[in-house]
Amino acid sequence: MTDTSEHKDSPNRREFIETVGAIGAVGAVGALVAGCGRGVGDQYADYPWPPLLEQAPDGPVLRAGLIGCGGRGTGAALDFLAAGPNLEIVALADFFRDRLDNCRNRLREEGNVEVADENCFTGMEAYRQLVDTDVDIVLMATPPYFRPEHFEACVEARKHVFMEKPMAVDPVGARSVMASARKADGAGLCVVTGTQRRHEATYLQTFERVTRGAIGDIVGANCYWNGRVPWWRDRQSSWTDIEFMMRDWVNWTWLSGDHIVEQHVHNLDVVSWYLGDAHPEKAVGIGARWRRPSGDQYDSFSIDFTFEDDVHVHSMCRQISGCANNVSEMVRGTKGYTNCEDGIWKTDGTEVWQYPYENDEDGNPIRPQPYKQEHIDLVTAIRTNQPVNEAERTAVSTLIAIMGRISCYTGQEVTWDQMMESGLKLGPDVVTLGASPDLVRGVVPVPGTP
Amino acid sequence: MPAAHRLTKLRKTIRLLRHPFVWGVGTGIVLLLLLRGANAVTATDGFCQSCHVHPQADASWRQSTHYTTKSGMVVHCVECHLPPGGVAYAAEKTRLGIRDVLGMVFKDRESFDWEARSQLEHASTFVFRESCLTCHPNLFPIELTDKGEEAHLHYERRADEMRCLNCHLQVGHFDPNAPDEIDFGLAETAGGEIYDAPAVVEAFDDYTEFIPGTTVSFDMVAIPGGTFQMGSPESEPYRREDEGPAHAVTVGSYWIGRVEVTWNEFEAWYSATRAEGRTDTRLMEAGIDAITGASPPYVPPDQGWGRGNRPAITMTHHAAVQYTRWLSEVTGKPYRLPTEAEWEYAARGGTETAYFFEGSPRQYTERRFRNRLFGRNTEVLDSYVIHAGNSASRTQLPTEVLPNPFGLVNMLGNVREFTLDWYAPDAYRDRAAGTPVVDPRGPDTGTEYAVRGGSFRSDPADLRSAARDRTRSTACLLTDPQIPKSIWWYSDCMDVGFRVVSAYEDEPPAGLRR
Repeated sequence: MTDTSEHKDSPNRREFIETVGAIGAVGAVGALVAGCGRGVGDQYADYPWPPLLEQAPDGPVLRAGLIGCGGRGTGAALDFLAAGPNLEIVALADFFRDRLDNCRNRLREEGNVEVADENCFTGMEAYRQLVDTDVDIVLMATPPYFRPEHFEACVEARKHVFMEKPMAVDPVGARSVMASARKADGAGLCVVTGTQRRHEATYLQTFERVTRGAIGDIVGANCYWNGRVPWWRDRQSSWTDIEFMMRDWVNWTWLSGDHIVEQHVHNLDVVSWYLGDAHPEKAVGIGARWRRPSGDQYDSFSIDFTFEDDVHVHSMCRQISGCANNVSEMVRGTKGYTNCEDGIWKTDGTEVWQYPYENDEDGNPIRPQPYKQEHIDLVTAIRTNQPVNEAERTAVSTLIAIMGRISCYTGQEVTWDQMMESGLKLGPDVVTLGASPDLVRGVVPVPGTP
Repeated sequence: MPAAHRLTKLRKTIRLLRHPFVWGVGTGIVLLLLLRGANAVTATDGFCQSCHVHPQADASWRQSTHYTTKSGMVVHCVECHLPPGGVAYAAEKTRLGIRDVLGMVFKDRESFDWEARSQLEHASTFVFRESCLTCHPNLFPIELTDKGEEAHLHYERRADEMRCLNCHLQVGHFDPNAPDEIDFGLAETAGGEIYDAPAVVEAFDDYTEFIPGTTVSFDMVAIPGGTFQMGSPESEPYRREDEGPAHAVTVGSYWIGRVEVTWNEFEAWYSATRAEGRTDTRLMEAGIDAITGASPPYVPPDQGWGRGNRPAITMTHHAAVQYTRWLSEVTGKPYRLPTEAEWEYAARGGTETAYFFEGSPRQYTERRFRNRLFGRNTEVLDSYVIHAGNSASRTQLPTEVLPNPFGLVNMLGNVREFTLDWYAPDAYRDRAAGTPVVDPRGPDTGTEYAVRGGSFRSDPADLRSAARDRTRSTACLLTDPQIPKSIWWYSDCMDVGFRVVSAYEDEPPAGLRR
């Protein structure tokens, strides 16, 4: 029923091909995780590589429940089912009945899974009802606004977790996830967080070479997610303010964190990873809203992040169709540079190393399938009893993105210390599916004003 | 043959045993065993309590969460009061052992102020962070509350400046007066008449002010203006550079609070004006809301020492100023903080000596080795001032001491007091010698305000009428995890309060005649 109101700004074929070419295997709004391994620490060479198995090892049945039954959630559920033997999806939760039914049907058709009626929960308390069932793993793909609260509930119930990036939309939420991550560590839980580049052999092998000095000491970096506008929805007369915003969530800052947080966090996470899971000391950025069709977000950001030792990282992201597209990272060192994904060059441009892709029948390189890989790595960690927990470092990457956003919204320099102590919390204290005229009015921030 | 062989063997063994090396090793082993035994004996709770017989050591420990644990495990004295294991343990144990034995032999045990020693500044010298962390390595247990999460993230980023005790002072020894929850400003006002109008003042005399709508009143003392010598002569013991040069100052007439502003008075303001959340400071600077109220305090502002007529503490200078603006509004009289000159004139009460009472700082201070060795007679000092030596490390009621010649109580002690002036170490430098300066003010701008008088933590050397100090905004907000940090409450300064003044003009402001 809702599909009638969904818009996609359909790119022409050439733009589409360019986009796909540029972003490689990465594309798609809301991607998955990367690199199993608890805390990379300072010693890059000791980084515990995810084993990157083709299938998770066999073991007793692991039962999973899904919170957030939209496209990404349904995809995550199917990827989970395909990750290895004896994996089940036994419970679903969503705010909306129609979303849940769509997901249930797709799981029936594509995954041959029948979720029992008594394990289908809808409404605002659905997540809690799902967490209270006897599932072993919770998959989460709700709007990021809900992540801190839902993750906390999962950890308190001792559930393993797969959750989509980003971890939060504001500093209070990011710190809540950091704290819950520590609690999960203490309880021996496995948490994988949707930063899928860290689960791709291409990125991992490049990273390994960089840690061994292939480009020398890192002196700067750039990262980009310049792409087209994502989907939006027209409001239907039967929807309340909150229901409209939740169905249109990717356009509302309090729900998504804005696209720098919701999408560009992938690239910021890679840069943070290459710099040693570091965070910037400060950020100054500019951003604007030009053409966005819905919501209250910006559609472009450009930020100068300053890391330790005065290492500058430029981050740029845009969601405007019909412009030059680029989704990539570039890290520069004293001896050369890397695209982080599959190549390393000397400063003068001479190629040092390329990832040895295998080619398919048409001669095109076969790229990794990271979405499924994340679930393979999660199940492997659980079944081999070698806990991994990516939540804290992804919370750091999320807070870096939030920091950039706040700088652009305000026009001010923002420091990491401020982020670690800011009381900023977006959205209503308690979400009920009712009227919220203040939020839905959609006031767009103007830099340089109080 | 076998017998002879055995004999030879025995002789050999005996010879070997006589070897000095073997003796050395043997003695070493015996000594180690003895030390081990001695350590075991002296590490029991019973051994500790054979000397520490005061209730602050035993009863309060048994009532604490470290004795009555969920699992039934009991945490013993040395597990907190000595560092865990190794060289540090041995060194600290030796140090404490020697100190305790000397204390037993040479000191009057009745004189120990155990209450004082349970306060943070003392406790942090004999409770070891490493000991806390040995048993509590996980700062993020699953049960941790949201507030706890924020506090521990804050702690981790400042682990070199902070200690577990900053927030967990009472966990080892139960203190029934330590509030778990902050009920500040919510307590019922004490019974009595509710004033419906402020005092009417028609002459320059002492008066009692009534805060309308409350049961709270306070006394104001009329101070006739005059000329006095401000600052200290170079000959004054323990004088600091910023107290000079001494110079003549003339102040006009004014009223000043007989005692420091009490919790009753301060809470009347808080209850009437407190903000639900944070207030935008930029609005306040623009004067848009002149008497905005404080946000709720982050930690119990009275430190659990009780409120009522004790002096109010831990408020920021900004909060104190806002209080005076509100007080002016509800009483129609121009209340404000005193200038440094008004404060010192009031404190001296016509005296020119270091104190307004008899005695020299040399005779009272604990900084002199001679005084520490032979003791000191502080009888006179104690009767006029609450200071480190008689305070039990906390504020005391104003009724505990005698007033100064102007009838003012605790000008020099109990809590230090905010003034209206910015602090500058060279504030007196340019004031003309000879001609009295009339109603001098501090510098036009600054970063910290001048604070005058001593407190319950001060050594007598710092209780002198001329002694000057300043606010310390950063240090006073160390444990406040909020950003922006509170503009209303200091999390870490518990010895500063203030008193109010009201200037007397020849033509009193209209409000005074109301």
